[in-house]
Amino acid sequence: MDEEPKTDSEPKLTVSSSPHIYTTESIPKIMYSVVAALMPAFIGALYFFGWRALWLTAIAVLVSIVTEAIIQKFRKVDITVTDGSVIVTGILLAFNLPAGVPWWIPAVGAFFAVAIGKHAFGGLGFNPMNPALLGRAFLMASWPVHMTTDWTNPHGGTLSGLAAITGSTPLAVVKDAMKDISDGVNVEGAQSVLESTRDLYFPLFWGRVGGCIGETSVLLLLIGAIYLFYKRYIPYQIPVAYIGSVIIIAWIFGGEGYFSGDWIFHVLAGGLILGAFFMATDMVTSPSSPKGQWIFGLGCGVITMVIRLVGGYPEGVSYSILLMNLLTPLLDRYTRPKVFGA
Amino acid sequence: MSYTIKLAVTLGIVCIIAAFALGGVYEITKGRIAFERERVMKEALQNVLPRAKNIIQTTTPEGKVYFRGFAAEDTSAAPVGYAILAYGKGYSSTIQALVGVEKSGEITGIQILFQQETPGLGAKAEEVLYGETDSWFQRQFKGASGLEVAVDKDGGKIQSITGATITSRAVANSIKSEMEWLKKEGLILSESDRLY
Amino acid sequence: MKRSLVQEFTKGFIDENPIARLVLGLCPALAVTTSLINGIGMGIAATFVLVCSNTIVSMIKGVVPKKIRIPIFIVVIATFVTIVEMVMAGFAPVLYKALGIYVPLIVVNCIILGRAEAFASKNSVGRSILDGLGMGVGFTMILAVIGSIREILGDGKILGFPLFGPDFEPVLIMILPPGAFFVIGILLGIFKWSDLRQEKKKLQSIVH
Repeated sequence: MDEEPKTDSEPKLTVSSSPHIYTTESIPKIMYSVVAALMPAFIGALYFFGWRALWLTAIAVLVSIVTEAIIQKFRKVDITVTDGSVIVTGILLAFNLPAGVPWWIPAVGAFFAVAIGKHAFGGLGFNPMNPALLGRAFLMASWPVHMTTDWTNPHGGTLSGLAAITGSTPLAVVKDAMKDISDGVNVEGAQSVLESTRDLYFPLFWGRVGGCIGETSVLLLLIGAIYLFYKRYIPYQIPVAYIGSVIIIAWIFGGEGYFSGDWIFHVLAGGLILGAFFMATDMVTSPSSPKGQWIFGLGCGVITMVIRLVGGYPEGVSYSILLMNLLTPLLDRYTRPKVFGA
Repeated sequence: MSYTIKLAVTLGIVCIIAAFALGGVYEITKGRIAFERERVMKEALQNVLPRAKNIIQTTTPEGKVYFRGFAAEDTSAAPVGYAILAYGKGYSSTIQALVGVEKSGEITGIQILFQQETPGLGAKAEEVLYGETDSWFQRQFKGASGLEVAVDKDGGKIQSITGATITSRAVANSIKSEMEWLKKEGLILSESDRLY
Repeated sequence: MKRSLVQEFTKGFIDENPIARLVLGLCPALAVTTSLINGIGMGIAATFVLVCSNTIVSMIKGVVPKKIRIPIFIVVIATFVTIVEMVMAGFAPVLYKALGIYVPLIVVNCIILGRAEAFASKNSVGRSILDGLGMGVGFTMILAVIGSIREILGDGKILGFPLFGPDFEPVLIMILPPGAFFVIGILLGIFKWSDLRQEKKKLQSIVH
């Protein structure tokens, strides 16, 4: 240290860009753990939706890998398809599709997710939005008929999970019933439908209901999520804030009057569990500070419930996460931890 | 100060010239625009009331407008049908449709005059398939009993547009409610009236 | 270095293309280009306004006080836009039905005010007309390209004729607003990419 002390205006040391903290974790290690954590739900999907679930997931993963390899070759950068992140994108995209869609839906969606959602912005770490969800949003806007009607019955159950109602998913059934009540048509029938959501708790928890390939089984998704918590790969703040705000809003506004909503149903139904644990927690597209993560989860919950209760679609998990993804840089900026003593 | 006035005067002069130019073009195109508008309406009325030779606009004391179609120039005979505008709140716009109906309550045709629904979904209400001359969605209403118009999801016979239930419902339900008004006015008959 | 009259006309095609190079006038380019015919219709309407406003602005450039030039340009542009709107409503009702609500937007189309301010207020009437015409043609061309891509992918048709068999399921998003952003983004990318390639070639030719 024989260097002369410098004046304040000159930099005292050179700081490389973040992250500064060294860790033994690597991208492949984390990504393959996520893949492993998704496996229980995947096996469940095979049981509930049959070989089609495997077939569609395989297409999505394969197209994701090929797209990434071609683009990286074209961009003359290292080909990183083996780091597992693109496999996670492919699996999550397939998990967000109805099991009855034609084979080219996951193919086009995976191509879009990887090419536009990830590499148009510069590749892993630079994508502002979750690529898999962006792929799903693209498919929703392009082929809404396939994406909202190509449901298949789960093994041993009906689409709604109730024996009496076939033809639409639990969230759509409840949405229609709520609309009937507010329109004043068939009020009694609609009320009895709302009553019957209590019979749905078990099918929803176990996964014997209609829905996207990987979203139906709460139990199997939770097994994967617990593993990721155990490995400390996902922050608890986002899922807690997300699910917590869904519970509160569903309880207050989700029923006929105030404070009477069936919040258990809203937690178990749709893609909330998959979204809250596996997609909202994506490291690249969610805030890195705990405070930011609380706000992020809260925002996801509010938007999800606004869409479910008053929006045009029955389910709002994917759009809520995409919207909050876009706020992530802002959240990171305003929740940056203060330097001690500064 | 004088500079400010100069600026104001210059701008004023430019505006006056522009106003005169616009006035001139307006005078020239006015007749043509009115003619076009009338032509669109006339064609629509003729479409929905094919049997009518002479169609007359009527306004009720409450200010509601409907059209009476007569089989001949002579308007002393009973009208062969009525046409009325139905407004339905769709997914992203208020859909305006002209409906023609006979006294029996049978719809003779509908034509959507305005809609701004989602292209590829609700906008298919106006879709004309290649090689055909009229909209497949609107064609379905022809021959339906006005008071029983409903989309398939509500137990009716109108096949809704795939993925656009809200639009389909808006059209069907707005038509049905206008038919109910016509019936209330005693202009068309309902199923039960015909039985007895 | 003054451009030749021909260059004055053709610069708007590629070199200074309003959308691809100047990135001006995106509002109509995004909003109306759901089909080829809409793109061409909007292009022609904007070209007409552009030529007329360039002519008038160039003619009055000597008498317009600098401080109020923008309001005066806007009045001139708005007048021509309203004329286009009325003529279209009267004589091209089909086009008017498709473009109607977007025609007033030509008033705030940056290209027109941009050319008035950057070119017509500093150049002769003849050059201004050529500039307006060239820019208009460039604008129309790019709108036609965007319109055809979106119509082919998003509707499976071109000029209303179905291109593919009945099994083709159009990529609906392409005729929805996001589709316009995708197409323009990719077009801008292609233009930029070819620029970079040419620059590289130039550099290499200097080095060798």
